[in-house]
Amino acid sequence: MTEFGRQLDIGPTDNTSDQRTPRKRLHLIPEQARSSFVPVAPARFTTRANEWDMTRISADRPRATGVPIEVTGVVQNENGTPVRKGLIEVWSANHFGRYRHAEDQSGLELDENFFGMGRVLTDNEGRYRFWTISPGAYLARPDIGRWRPKHIHLSVTGGSSRLITQMYFPDEPNNVSDPMAILMGDAFERNIGKPYDVSTRDIDQGFNFDITVGGKNATFFE
Amino acid sequence: MTKDTGRNVLLPTNEDTCGPYFPIYFQDESLEDLTRVGPGIVADVAGKPIILRGNVIDRHGNLANGAILEFWQANAKGIYRTPSTACDPDIDPWFHGYGRLRSDTGEYSLRTILPGGSDGRAPNITITIFSDGISRIVTQMFFPDEATNKTDPLLSVLDADDQKRLIAKHDGRTADGAEVFRFDIVMAGEGETPFFDDFES
Repeated sequence: MTEFGRQLDIGPTDNTSDQRTPRKRLHLIPEQARSSFVPVAPARFTTRANEWDMTRISADRPRATGVPIEVTGVVQNENGTPVRKGLIEVWSANHFGRYRHAEDQSGLELDENFFGMGRVLTDNEGRYRFWTISPGAYLARPDIGRWRPKHIHLSVTGGSSRLITQMYFPDEPNNVSDPMAILMGDAFERNIGKPYDVSTRDIDQGFNFDITVGGKNATFFE
Repeated sequence: MTKDTGRNVLLPTNEDTCGPYFPIYFQDESLEDLTRVGPGIVADVAGKPIILRGNVIDRHGNLANGAILEFWQANAKGIYRTPSTACDPDIDPWFHGYGRLRSDTGEYSLRTILPGGSDGRAPNITITIFSDGISRIVTQMFFPDEATNKTDPLLSVLDADDQKRLIAKHDGRTADGAEVFRFDIVMAGEGETPFFDDFES
């Protein structure tokens, strides 16, 4: 009938992945229908003035508990073309590993000075920057002692580029047992932020995380 | 690395699961009702208003809570708003065709207009799904009773069972003047929705 595309893999020890990963191979999209699979988001993104600094809920509130870090990088497609004026939505757990989300029932400590959500826009060269608190790891599967390693979620939307990913941290002991990291294999390296020294006393450590949005959608209109 | 285009080819960042805690805080109501530009804004989106409703279901038949759905469609005249149609006279100034919502429970509802068919295609809406446990997956839904479904090049690559799984059903109701269509997405297992590969194709 047709050739088939990828067979998606199930994340080891990840129950939700087992429940939600399609079991059939993906279908290839015939050429005549390919362009219809390229969503172009309207550039009507909103972000507030202080949202780039997630170490505070607002400029007039105290610093959150934990290690303040900076994350910077460039967002581009596989051809190196920057995603200009794109939206990056960022979310992460607090220092204690707890999300300020109505559905996080972990019971871990909340921090009254940490929101853990923010939006930033990329500039004309595709660059972005935000400050946040280094997130805590948390026990995802108490029954088998599996932790989720420290990570920050990033969602990129700009033109026909669309990507949801996570930035991990170098040398974390829980990286090797993470289901999604296992599926990425050697390519997991690309999802680890690269540490750099920062010259401000406001921040303890910087991490560079360049994001390359893969696939034909991101380059479709070049 | 260099392809024969002479341009740099960079290795892509791995897509990853959005996890269970995609912030509800990021929701944008203007992306959940594409017939409305914004609160108090006078604007007439052309076309027949519809509501697309359904459930996102996991391998055990349970609702897949916390899924994020993104929608992409042509306007009533079959024109997608892209960089290549900016000067098309049939662009609807009030319709961008891009929707997004987070379904807390696994049930979803999008208000939009019935898309027109274009380029030999039957009317359709592309749906991108993000959820805990998976990275981005995509499919396309179609409408019942459209004669062009029979010749649609995407439906044509599927067998009869899979074709049915991509065609919405009449709900039989209207809500706020909009006809309701039902389209369930089965992420895995029995009755699994056909998904498409936009990396390999």
